[in-house]
Amino acid sequence: MIKRYLFTFALVLSLSCAALYGINVKANATGSDSEPGAVGSVVADFKLPDLDGREQSLSSLKGKNGTVLIFVGVQCPVSNAYNERMEKLAQDYRARGVNVVGVNANSTESASDAKAHATSNNLTFPILKDNGNKLADKLGAERTPEAYVLDSSNKIIYRGRIDNARNPSSVSASELRDALEAMLAGKPVAKSSVPAFGCTIKRG
Amino acid sequence: MTRLISPLILSALVLALVSSSSARHEQQAGAQRKATASSPAPVVREIDLAGLKKLLSREGKERRPLLVNFWATWCEPCRAEFPDLVSIDNEYRARGLDFITVSIDDVSEINSTVPAFLREMRATMPAYLLNTTEQDAAIQFVDPRWAGSLPATFLYDAQGKVVFKHLGRIKPDELRAAIKAVISDK
Repeated sequence: MIKRYLFTFALVLSLSCAALYGINVKANATGSDSEPGAVGSVVADFKLPDLDGREQSLSSLKGKNGTVLIFVGVQCPVSNAYNERMEKLAQDYRARGVNVVGVNANSTESASDAKAHATSNNLTFPILKDNGNKLADKLGAERTPEAYVLDSSNKIIYRGRIDNARNPSSVSASELRDALEAMLAGKPVAKSSVPAFGCTIKRG
Repeated sequence: MTRLISPLILSALVLALVSSSSARHEQQAGAQRKATASSPAPVVREIDLAGLKKLLSREGKERRPLLVNFWATWCEPCRAEFPDLVSIDNEYRARGLDFITVSIDDVSEINSTVPAFLREMRATMPAYLLNTTEQDAAIQFVDPRWAGSLPATFLYDAQGKVVFKHLGRIKPDELRAAIKAVISDK
């Protein structure tokens, strides 16, 4: 009799602990196996305003051979360290049928803030304002800068950093360009997901 | 009579133990605060990927729950949450929590911006600066689901398992509740 009570008590206790543990970690986790924006998933067409308030869509901005979506920030020093490199990337690949599109999803930065920032940093590629973080949520984007390479059918073939150093003179690995070169050559991408330290996207 | 006295003596003993223990905590916290206010800028130790792995695995050490905060001086929400982190360190260090901070700042700032900020915050938890060309490997080692956004806070239990994580500015009450669940001195 006592044994049975003890067993029931132990069972209830362990189930409660498991439930508590699960809630704690789950409530703060950032993804699951079917996480949004996973490499291999296809990005459905979306509509977002550009920095002048004009509605744009993925289908209207995408390149013939692919698209690079980069989440950027006005005040993030990491994102700012990449301004020149992002612009160069856009220029280098535009002629090869790949369009670079910036996305500002920070609730703390307005379209006019982002426009002034783009002008002063000579960013000529289109930048979209992701009000309400709709696209960031859809892609599971967490930080700036964070890049997504979409092939011609909008399938994500790369997700992650631009390269491995904030300081341009220290760069020894350029995974984003490597992914683009592989895509354009019809080869598989060697490293398809590469995290990096960056600023958290401020969600509203 | 003896039956009545024994529980009384026991209760008195328990009370005495509890009060002496909390007095010790107060003394320790006080000593820490005093040391902080007058001490020079804290030392920030440089670590590479292997050093980070060693810190987090804590091999050969008597394990206590470990709180790890990844931050950088250029990260505004990291700076904003720091006073809360310092309070949490002061509250729980003597109650069985280890707490370390890992800065992602450039190594050129290890003797300037980083310790200056820590001193301003009166932070006394062991401070490290991660200097590695393998940042991606470091992030994946800590948490394969983490994309590297800062700040990021992870709580390990005494067995080394992540029991709580928070990306972005912490919610102090949520973190306190998670710490209370794993420390020996509730």
